[in-house]
Formats: sequence, structure tokens, C-alpha cells
Amino acid sequence: MSATPASPSRQPFVVQRRRLQPATVVFGLATLVLVFLIAAPVIRLLVSSFQATGTGGFTLHNYAVAWGRERNVAAVGNSLLYALEVTILSAVFAVPIAWGISRTNMPCKGLIRALIIGAFITPSYLGAIGWILLGGPNAGWLNKMWMALTGSSAGFMNIYSFSGLVLVTALYAFPYIFVFTAAALDLVSSEMEEAASILGAGWLRTIRRITLPLVLPAIIGGAIIVFLDTVALFGTPAIIALPSRIPVMTLVLWQFFETPIRAEAAAAYAIPLIVITLAMFSMQRLVLGRKGYVALTGKGGTRTFTPLGGYRWLVLGYALFVVGLAVILPYAALAQAAFSQAWGLGLSWANLTLDNFAAVLFEANSRNTIIRTFGYSAAAACAAVVLALVIAYIVTRRMVRDRGILTLLCMAPLVIPGIVLGVAFYATYAPPPIALYGTAAILIIGYTTRFLPVAYVNAAAGVRSLNPEMEDAVRILGGGRLRALAQVVVPLLKTNLVGSWLLVFIPAARELSTALFLVSGQTRVISVMMLDLSENGSFETLAALGFVLLAATIAIVLLGYKLVGRDFMLRRS
Amino acid sequence: MQITRRAVTTGMMALGAGAIAAPAASAADDQAKLYEAAKKEAKVTWYSGYLDQPMVDAVGRAFTAKYPGISMAGTKTTSQVAFQRLMQDLNAGSVQADVFSSTDAAHMSDLIAKDKLVKYTPPNAAGLVPSIRDFNGGGYYRPGWVGLVTLLYNSKQVSAADSPKDWPDLTDPKWKNKISFGSPNYSGLVGVWTVGMAEKYGWGFFEKLNKLNPLVGRSIDDAVAVLNSGERSVAICSAATALRSAAKGNPLVVNYPTSFSLADLSPAAIIKGSPSPNAAKLLIDFMAGPEYSKILTDNYEQPLRTDVPPPKGAKSLADLTLFQPTLENIEKELPGLRDKWRDLFNG
Repeated sequence: MSATPASPSRQPFVVQRRRLQPATVVFGLATLVLVFLIAAPVIRLLVSSFQATGTGGFTLHNYAVAWGRERNVAAVGNSLLYALEVTILSAVFAVPIAWGISRTNMPCKGLIRALIIGAFITPSYLGAIGWILLGGPNAGWLNKMWMALTGSSAGFMNIYSFSGLVLVTALYAFPYIFVFTAAALDLVSSEMEEAASILGAGWLRTIRRITLPLVLPAIIGGAIIVFLDTVALFGTPAIIALPSRIPVMTLVLWQFFETPIRAEAAAAYAIPLIVITLAMFSMQRLVLGRKGYVALTGKGGTRTFTPLGGYRWLVLGYALFVVGLAVILPYAALAQAAFSQAWGLGLSWANLTLDNFAAVLFEANSRNTIIRTFGYSAAAACAAVVLALVIAYIVTRRMVRDRGILTLLCMAPLVIPGIVLGVAFYATYAPPPIALYGTAAILIIGYTTRFLPVAYVNAAAGVRSLNPEMEDAVRILGGGRLRALAQVVVPLLKTNLVGSWLLVFIPAARELSTALFLVSGQTRVISVMMLDLSENGSFETLAALGFVLLAATIAIVLLGYKLVGRDFMLRRS
Repeated sequence: MQITRRAVTTGMMALGAGAIAAPAASAADDQAKLYEAAKKEAKVTWYSGYLDQPMVDAVGRAFTAKYPGISMAGTKTTSQVAFQRLMQDLNAGSVQADVFSSTDAAHMSDLIAKDKLVKYTPPNAAGLVPSIRDFNGGGYYRPGWVGLVTLLYNSKQVSAADSPKDWPDLTDPKWKNKISFGSPNYSGLVGVWTVGMAEKYGWGFFEKLNKLNPLVGRSIDDAVAVLNSGERSVAICSAATALRSAAKGNPLVVNYPTSFSLADLSPAAIIKGSPSPNAAKLLIDFMAGPEYSKILTDNYEQPLRTDVPPPKGAKSLADLTLFQPTLENIEKELPGLRDKWRDLFNG
């Protein structure tokens, strides 16, 4: 694999200036890192999909095994429909709340924002079980309540259904679109909205004609991430789709790892998903076209909150409804397990305990696992944000040829399901000469690679909203590209970058399938600990761990936004 | 393989013969030499597909307490991941694991065929429960864990008198919308159970189950959460997982089926060419010894030895009728059964 990054013919670097600048070196390095991080495992995956199991000789048999069954093809169809519905529902959840928080005088903004990010940290296994407790056809709380209220003999919802699957997935995926959209809305100056308003447009028309079109790239970016992430999702389908008898792609994929293991066929099944990524981007180009989305021009620009009058309670009500479904209701159901000695006994004083929390927080093994996971995820988030910003800058400012390849490389890791990517990472990084197995580095590299797409899409949307004239001004005054990046782009995109950081940090903290291949006993992370807990039936401890994660994340988010400081565009009133 | 009295007797005779050939004194001598050699290696690495990480860590601490100077690095993942990692290490020519253990005995057949395992008979093997002592693949591996598949019910919803006592009881129409089990396409233990049921009761058993609209999950351990939540009331389970949850006070009761409990003997073996071959032997011997079985029972798992009593509420292996389909049969039947399962349960 080491041959690929060194190969000079793959160097797509053509810098606009002839003189070698520090920027050239930095950008060149970033490209090399990208190739090392992503191209190496992806190419290995591609090669292995053509290799015979055991002998390693060339074969097309893997593709026949993977795609020769009608069932396997149908599962991909199910996955695409599933991802599409999740994406639409996520946007319906996310966009109005993002608008409410960023552009209106809606109350309780900090709380809603923290709860949304709280929804995001919820591991899919826990969210799914929470919803089985609420919406299970036989014993779900909501169904029981419904039966008690209406006297009907059956509940009103069955979580074990396609729509149940879509709902539960969207509730934990919509934060992607929320963070993207809110970050973009934060950069839109109010002047254009005010102009519309002066010309007689009502606030609804202003949203439709001015605000929404300006943040369309961010919404579409978030939607693409949700779509790809859902295609590759295993956790929720394993708990809900499987009992509902809805075969999806990731479920088929895991079966290739039962004896006889056919990892090569799994690669052959996963590789065509990269085509889906390509399709997404062609679609994005089609929708966005050649229109301009520059929101920040450098010529002043401030933002005020649209006063909604009584409607602000309506917006808050909607936000509470969504976080109620995503966090408050399922965690209320999970609380029964987290605070019980034996959750099967139901609520009673005798059954009440804090022991599960003590086991999570004060037992050295578990406490170290939590601290370690947050450390690895934070390191990966920092690496991904820096790398994504540099690459997004190179691509958006058209500094190189072959930008399409760079973009595709940045996006590929998200759509390849974790278990397949885990195999490729292990194969690339574990053996000598790299020999990273057993170290923290292999997990950090794995997380950085897996979630780089999220940071990249967010950063690209951010850079696209900046008028290049501001950077040109720096350069006219004698500053280099790096100075423009560090002193103009980064400060302007502050909230965008914090958003990117969170969008890598959180999924990394809950990532399971990639981590399974990369952990050792000494580098165990929370997701693997959760798998152990679920396998040995300790659901009480698992639920308590969920609460600890939720609380820790909310604290990190509140602290993070405090550190970023006041929004520079907000008009002082 | 029905574990019969005859098989047990044959095993005991073989062991008797071994004991005559190697007198006890020289065996202790060999162990001392092994320890000396292992101390120079200082470290042993174990890829495990069973137990959980805290238990693996506990085994490591107990091992080091018994053999000071040798540390153990154990990593628990799923058996599939452990095996996939091992294969990649072997292909890359950098063996990391000294000892590999899996819930899937077919992994060992594969490794034996590739000549990747070391033959070794640990002295402690003599103290294993007779019914699992023969499980050694011709000397290449030892049992390190016994998975028991049994019946489980929620005692808040089902009375003891009403509860299913044997496998065929599950097909009673009164369990419509009440049963839950895992899938052989995702769980090795459910795979062995599927082969066992098909062998004893035919495929019709599953067709009857399907008419009762069972909740078919992934892992065999999902049953505990599904029953505790009250969503279903009867399940196929892994006995240890259910006993662990019941010990906390959850309303779960394990019924050992009257005709037989399904056993999944899960092997552990030494990898050829590993960095610490001597320490690996000590670890395999340790896993057949009483300290290891004690750690198992502390965590509600079945002890592997006759001299370690079973955990509270569990029966000992010696008192149970066990049935395990032969490895040949599992390898021959399971792929086809998995396909039929996909058609029947769509999962």
C-alpha cells in the first residue's frame, strides 16, 4: 500500500503560484495524509474483492457470491428506500428547529441544542431498546397508555415495522442535518431578509425565497451524510429490522462473517456502495448548480433574531416534541432499567438503586474505558476537523485539478459499512511495518478516517459561504494562503468548525463496528464495553452508562459553545 | 455426538493409560521447566471469542498471580472478529496471538487443516468434567467455555406449571406472539441449536414455530432484554446470561429441557509460530485448572471441572443430559439450514 502515496503520477498538485510557499507544503502534506488514511484501506478493499479466499488469486467469484442472490440485491433496494425515508424525516425534524434556534427569538435555545446533541450520542442499540419499551406491540408504554385511555384492545403503534425502523433511525440521525443547517444559518446576514421584508414579504415567504435557498448547500450536505450513514448503519436494523423481517444490506453483510467467513465477498458487496456516494454528489451538483451561495462578503453584515410573537411558542413546542421523541421519552423508559436492581421487576421502592451508576463511574475498568473513549474521539475530531478544513479549502478554491477524486476519497469511508472498513483498516495498519495494533493510534486513525466525510462536508459548506475576496485582501496585503486560512477563514467559520468537531467526536464515541477490529484489551472503548454488557445480560448497567454518556455530552456541548464565545454577527440590541 | 457413558469410559481409559506412561513427579518437573522457559517470554497474548473483557482481565490477573513474571494481554471480541484478525495476522506473517479461542469449533478445523495449531495435552485436562474431556480435536485444542442453550421464561407472565419443559413444548399454540429467539445467521450458539433441533425434530419444528409469530432477533442473548421488557415471555437462551440476570432479581427462570440441553463446547488452542509458545502452554493448562473454572462460576458460567461446584441456581454439567451435534454435522448442515432459515424467517 505504501507505493500508492509515493507514486508521482497520482500527484494532482498544481499550485497557482510558481514560487514554493509554506501553503503549498501544507496542502501537499494534507493530500498525502488523505491518501494514506483513506486510499490505502479503500484500495486494499477493492483489491481484496477480486481475490480468492485463501489463495489470493484473481477471481470474480466474490461478486457472484455477493450479488448472485436475488435476496442480496433486494436488501440493497430496501436499504436505499430506508435511507431515503430516514433522510426526509430527519430534515423535517432538523430544519425548523435549526431555523428557530439560529434566526428567531424562540426561548430555551441552549437546552434544546444540548438535548439534540444528547440525542446524537445515544448509541443506536440503546435508542432502539428505549423505543421497544415505548412502542413494542405487547408491552410498549405508549401502547399500554393508549389502550388504557381509549379502551381499545390493541396499541396504536408497532415499532417492529418499516415505519418504526425509519422513525427510530431518524430520531438519532437528524442531529447531523441540525448542526449543518444551524451552522449555515448562523452565517446568513439579516440584511437580505430585511430587504425582503421591506418589499412586503411575510416571514414565511422570506424563509422560502431567501433564507432556505441560502443554506441549501448545508441542508443537502447534511442530508447526504444522513443518507450514507443510514445505508451503512447496523445497530438499529439489528434490533428492529431483523425481528420485523425486513432484510437490509448491512444485515446481509454481517452474514458473510459467519463461518465460512467470506470477507472478500463482503468487500465485493460493499464496494459498489461507493457508486452511491458518486450518485449523491452528481445529484448535489445538479441541485446546487452554478448558483452562488456566498453569505459572508466581508462588507459588514449582522444578524438579528426574527421576532415571532406568539408563534415562538409554537416553534418551541415543535422542538420539544422532537427532542421529546428522541431523548425525553426513551430515556424515561430506560430510567426504569438504570435505577433498578432488576429491571424486569418494574418500578418499586425496594427495587430502586444507584448501584448501576456506581458500577459505571467508580469501577476503575469502566471509568478508564469512558475517559479513554472520550480522549480517542477528541483526538480524532481534532485531526478530522483540521484535515477536512484544509482539503475543503483546496477543493472549494479550486487550487488543484482532479478535485472530484479528492472529494470522492473524502466521502468514501462513510458509506462503506464499518465491519468491512474495520477489516481493511486492520489489514493496512496492524501488520509491520506500520504495526499499530494494540495502540491508541490505530483507533484514532480509524475514527478520523471513518468520520472525515462528516467534517469535510460541513467544512466545504462553510468555505463555500465565504467570499474569496476576503482572502484575496489578505494576499494583496502580502499575507500567504496559510495566513488567510488561519486569520480569516478559521475565525469566520468558528461555529461551523465547532459543529464539525462535535459531528466527528460524537459518532466516534459511539462507533462499534470499526472499533471491534481495532481494540485490544488495553484500548477498550465504550461501544465494545456496551456490546459486552448487552451480551452478558447486564442491561441495568448498560442503561446507566447511557445516562452517563448523555450527561457528559450535554456538559461538553454547553462548555464547547461557551468557549467559542459570543456570536460575532449577532447585533447588539 | 450424544455424550454416552461409553465415550466417557473410553476417555477415562485413555487418560489412565496416559497416567501410567508419565508418572506424577516428572509431570511436575515438566511444569517447572515450562514455567522457567515461559518466564523468559514474560508475556502471553490471547484472542478470545468468549467471556467478556472484565472476565478475560480477571483470568489475566489470576494467571499472573499463579505464574509471577508472566503477564497476559487478553482481548475479547466476537469469535468472528477474533478469527478474522488471526487470519490476517497469519497472512501478513506476523503472529500476535499465542492462544486463540472461539465459540465456533469450525474455526479450529480450519486452522488444523492449515497446520496452524500446536498439539498439547495439559496436565490439568485430567480434572475436566468427563463429558467434555474428549473434546480436543485430536490433541489440538481444549474446551475453554461451554455454552448451554436452554429454555427461559418470565415468571411474572408464566407460571412454573405452565412453562415449557422440553423443546417440543414450544410449538404449543398457546405461545403465539410470546416466543423469542436469535438467528443462526448472526449467532454461533443459535447456529448449533438450529442444527441440533433439525437433527432431533426435523425442519418441521421451525415451520411450527414460525406459525406462532416468534420475535427473531440477532444474538441469543437478546432474549434476556426482550423477556425483561415484557415484550415476550418465553425464549431460547444461553443459560449463563439468563442466570446472571436472574441473580440480580429479574423474573427469569431457566428450564433445562427434559430431553437434553444443547451444549456448545468452545475450544481454545495454541497458535503455531507464536511469540510465546511456552507461556501459551501454561495458559492452556491454566484454563483447564480450578482457578479458571472458579472465575467462570463467579460469573454464572458453567465450570469445566468436577471439583468446582456450579453457580447458584445452575445444574452441574455432570447432572445434565447434554447433546452437541458433531462438528462434521454442523459443518455439513449449517450452511443449508441458514439458507432455509432466511427463506422462512426472512432474516
